[in-house]
Amino acid sequence: MRFLRQLLLPVLALASLALARSSTGDSVLILLDPSLKKEDFSVFFGDLEKKGYQLTFRSPKDATPEIIKDDVAQFAHVVVFAPNTKSFAADVTPQSLVSLLSKNTNLLLALSPKQTPLSSLASEFSLILPPPGTPLVSHFPKRDTPPTVIPVDVPATHDIISPNLPPVWFSGVPQALGNNPMLVPILKAPPQAFASDADSDKGADALVEAAEKSGEGLWAGSSLSLVTGFQALSNARATWLGGVELFSDDFINKEISKGVKSGNRQFASDVAAWTFQESHVLRIDSVEHHRVNETLPRETYTINDRVTYTTYISKYNPELDLWEPYSGIKDMQLEFTMLDPHIRTSLPPIAGEPGKYSVTFRVPDRHGVFKFVNDYKRKGWTYLTSSTVVPVVPPRHDEYPRFLSAAWPYYAGAFSTSAAFVLFVTLWLAGDDREPKKSKGAKAE
Amino acid sequence: MPLAYTLPSNLSPATVANTSSLLRIVALALISGAAIASRLFAVVNFESIIHEFDPWFNYRATKVLAEKGFYEFWNWFDHTAWYPLGRVVGGTIYPGLMATSGVIYNVLHALHLPVDIRNICVLLAPGFSALTAWSTYMFTKEMKDESAGLLAAVFIGIAPGYISRSVAGSYDNEAIAIFLLMYTFYCWIKALKTGSVLYGTLTALFYFYMVAAWGGYAFITNMIPLHALTLILMGRFSSRLYTAYSSWYAIGTLASMQVPFVGFQPVRTSEHMAALGVFGLLQIVAFAELVRAHVSSKQFQSILFGSVIVIGLLGVFAFAGLTYKGWIAPWTGRFYSLWDTGYAKKYIPIIASVSEHQPTAWPSFFMDLQFLIFIFPAGVVLCFRELRDEHVFVIIYAVVASYFAGVMVRLMLTLTPVVCVAAAIAFSSLLDTYIDPVEPEVPVASTEAETPARDSPANVAPGSATTSKKAKKAAAADASSSGLASGVLAALSPSGKSAKPRGIFGLDSRALVIANALGMLLFFVLHCTYVTSTAYSSPSVVLASQNPDGSQHIIDDFREAYYWLRQNTPQDAVVMSWWDYGYQIAGMADRPTLVDNNTWNNTHIATVGKAMSSPEEVAYPILRKHDVDYVLIIFGGLIGYSGDDINKFLWMVRIAQGVWPEEIQEPNYFTAKGEYRVDDQAAPAMKNSLMYKMSYYRFAELYGGNQAVDRVRGQQVPKTGPTLDYLDEAFTSENWIVRIYQVKKEDPLGRDLKTANSFDQGKKRKKSKPLSRRKAVV
Repeated sequence: MRFLRQLLLPVLALASLALARSSTGDSVLILLDPSLKKEDFSVFFGDLEKKGYQLTFRSPKDATPEIIKDDVAQFAHVVVFAPNTKSFAADVTPQSLVSLLSKNTNLLLALSPKQTPLSSLASEFSLILPPPGTPLVSHFPKRDTPPTVIPVDVPATHDIISPNLPPVWFSGVPQALGNNPMLVPILKAPPQAFASDADSDKGADALVEAAEKSGEGLWAGSSLSLVTGFQALSNARATWLGGVELFSDDFINKEISKGVKSGNRQFASDVAAWTFQESHVLRIDSVEHHRVNETLPRETYTINDRVTYTTYISKYNPELDLWEPYSGIKDMQLEFTMLDPHIRTSLPPIAGEPGKYSVTFRVPDRHGVFKFVNDYKRKGWTYLTSSTVVPVVPPRHDEYPRFLSAAWPYYAGAFSTSAAFVLFVTLWLAGDDREPKKSKGAKAE
Repeated sequence: MPLAYTLPSNLSPATVANTSSLLRIVALALISGAAIASRLFAVVNFESIIHEFDPWFNYRATKVLAEKGFYEFWNWFDHTAWYPLGRVVGGTIYPGLMATSGVIYNVLHALHLPVDIRNICVLLAPGFSALTAWSTYMFTKEMKDESAGLLAAVFIGIAPGYISRSVAGSYDNEAIAIFLLMYTFYCWIKALKTGSVLYGTLTALFYFYMVAAWGGYAFITNMIPLHALTLILMGRFSSRLYTAYSSWYAIGTLASMQVPFVGFQPVRTSEHMAALGVFGLLQIVAFAELVRAHVSSKQFQSILFGSVIVIGLLGVFAFAGLTYKGWIAPWTGRFYSLWDTGYAKKYIPIIASVSEHQPTAWPSFFMDLQFLIFIFPAGVVLCFRELRDEHVFVIIYAVVASYFAGVMVRLMLTLTPVVCVAAAIAFSSLLDTYIDPVEPEVPVASTEAETPARDSPANVAPGSATTSKKAKKAAAADASSSGLASGVLAALSPSGKSAKPRGIFGLDSRALVIANALGMLLFFVLHCTYVTSTAYSSPSVVLASQNPDGSQHIIDDFREAYYWLRQNTPQDAVVMSWWDYGYQIAGMADRPTLVDNNTWNNTHIATVGKAMSSPEEVAYPILRKHDVDYVLIIFGGLIGYSGDDINKFLWMVRIAQGVWPEEIQEPNYFTAKGEYRVDDQAAPAMKNSLMYKMSYYRFAELYGGNQAVDRVRGQQVPKTGPTLDYLDEAFTSENWIVRIYQVKKEDPLGRDLKTANSFDQGKKRKKSKPLSRRKAVV
């Protein structure tokens, strides 16, 4: 079966070469605020279409096309570029957007300093937004743009973003991050930046003071995030942009310094690729378990059996639209759990067999309903979870060891008693029959 | 010798003997029929269904046995019970019942009678009740005679005390255990009487069957040694006793150790030590007797007896030492609870929470035994008058069983046979005395005294004609043997003058007493039938109520809910409920359960108790950890079903408190005044508990704005009911008796479900502030 699949997949991939690159689908709905023009984002949208996505545009107030129809998500990805829209159509509510995530639909959402339904939705994702009307402000480095338009250094080595990108232009609202482990910070604010309601820096001291007095944290510094990814438990991804301008043609074409174009274009493409589940997508193809020296799984295992657990993992290759065996995970663990993990061992890749991870261990000396649990959650990567229930039973009545050396006294006792009994009976029957008479006589006395 | 009425004289003794034995067989057959028929009320009134709780497990186990064979059953590891611990069924049950059904099933199928295994299970208990009647007949026959045996058989056949555990569908260990108990005792008495190794071995074999069938075998394990010890102390040691006891103990103990669940208990636990001790004592006594037979010196004998005592004492010390060292397990809590009825409530609430472990209420003695309980002491007194070895047994049995029946309701079952036996002895003595036509001789010469008398001792065989002198002797012997009742009357009469003749004169007095006795029997039959049909024949899986027009209305919520689970949930969906319903869920819904009626793991039960009595957010991690998909509760508030979970709730709290005393405290579930309330004034812990919330979730809505009333507690439920964030209502049965909730999956955004729920309802979240990881530098 596996072999067949490996054979078939490249063929299928070739056939679908012209199709989308996402692992979940190619239909994208873009909710575009009327105040924003499609042309202003032509590079970004054009890149998406070049990759093979089918873009559908819709104003936030339009009723059609619906994003969820009959409880089925109609698009594989939803882009909400409506940072200033205060009221959406009835089907676009924070609740419906969240429910999209559990239907494995990816979201790309843009925020703005304005208070909109989206900014209250952001708090459900453990993003903490500054008060309305306080965009990110930075006076460094010295430049001719307003202080709210900031060049931000992109981390040189980041899982999601291409390495060594030039800085990107950013304008918008920063987010402080809650302690939700599902958050994937993509772009951090420059250390000198802060959120302020004033365009000039006159109020900056007052802001710090206010923050001190009221005991609030400070919306300042590199702990703020500007672009934040979120990987939901359903493996759907949502990305929050601090400002929609980040993806605009304007910023993409704007020069960072003389002759150096900004990194916005590649950055936008990388963020979209991650959000639309093109990159960093893994899956568990299959799980096998069997006793050592056997090939088929057992319905139950006996305590102290030696058991081999194998899992096959693939990574999505967006270039070929293909799932390829992936052996790059070095820190995966397997737990053998009944209430608590009884065994926790590393699940290493097998050299020479791509995509195969395997470990052999001894089942604990404890019967019960165990689970092979593989729970691999890393920031930015698809969550890999697999749980296989298998009962572990005590040995059958005929599986216990026999003829133990410790039992020899008992064997000796049993056999000697039997022999003595036979001897006694023989003697009794063959003996003189005067004896019993005498004893009878004695009893009579 | 005067006679009250004449008996036919032209019958040969052989004819009489043959007729009476035929009549006995017919009578026994009729008794069996009556015993079986009276147990079929449950089938007639309801249907052929397995009753209650434990039988559902036995039934499930029997199905495994019938389908997969004995070895698979032996090695059966039930991974759906006690999830995720699982249960080694083969090693934790008494397989006798299932094996019996399996044998019957296989025999019937070998005869090409394709009987459904369920029907075998349903009808096993009535079938064995017929055998119980027969074995009680045999037992009582050894005590007195056949007529007493027949009476005992009738009594045990229809006594509600035994019917309560053996109606059709009550497929429990007790169904066959009482037969085995009585037959083992019969064999023991027979072995003791004859001193036969064969009967001793038979005793051991039936003892083995009993051990394989019921945990109550410990009763035999201690009754027989107690009897033997009493006989030794009474100076009645004999080679018969030695033979009977030694063969029983040696073979019986070895055999009982073959049952996996018993294993090495017979040599390792205190409950079995009495049997071992008496076995040892018997060897010593036998040895002493042997020496005494060969040695004539009286001093030597006294030294010998001294040494016997010393050895006995050493044995006791050795026993104590071994217990102290841990070689012998000390008494278990269940044992202590037999002596101190408050013990269980204090230390092992799991035992105390079972209603059948409560002390017996006085009326239930009458309910279960009716007039037998009144004449039971008379029968015991009659045993004292003769006091052969076997009578000592009945006396000990009566005393011990009476005590235990007073301590625990369920032990009424072990009392019932001895009550039937003793009552039969008393009743048969009464009938013997009053049916016997012999009248006492009046010293003043009368016409009757002159007539040649025909002696007819007892009621069985009229003896051959004798002279009046012989008749006198026979009558005197009668007075001491069969006509005991008159003897008792004589003993009680104040005069004590031998000159005055005692006895019964005339037909009228006889007719009066016999009519009265027959009346008692008649009322006994009526009572038994009434109690059986009304009180003991309810399957408790199906409830019955009456429509306004008097017709029967069946409330079938349990099966409705269990079948819902069976058909609408994945096969491996784990269901959490209180342990009472574990077996039923496993049997009817076929879903894994957390805890069930085999209460072997107190901590696991306490975990469920904690989940039920904690607030949702505390309970949720427990539910997730145990992979619980559904929670099932029983709620009787709508139709007034009093056996629901809110009424059992305090036991959950108590059991949880036993394990987590810091987190769960019973007083928190009472109001400040110490009342157990579910209305507006309910204690906060009560109102926040998962059990309360699940019980009353949306209950008030049912009343459409009117005041909602809980009909079990008789309290008014708040109009705004509790809300649930971590559970979804999945199913509620027609009369709301069973409510099933689905445990929600974790939130995809990683929020706690309460927040997620309030978000879904569109509630505004409080604005949060950035976490201050470090202090801002000023």
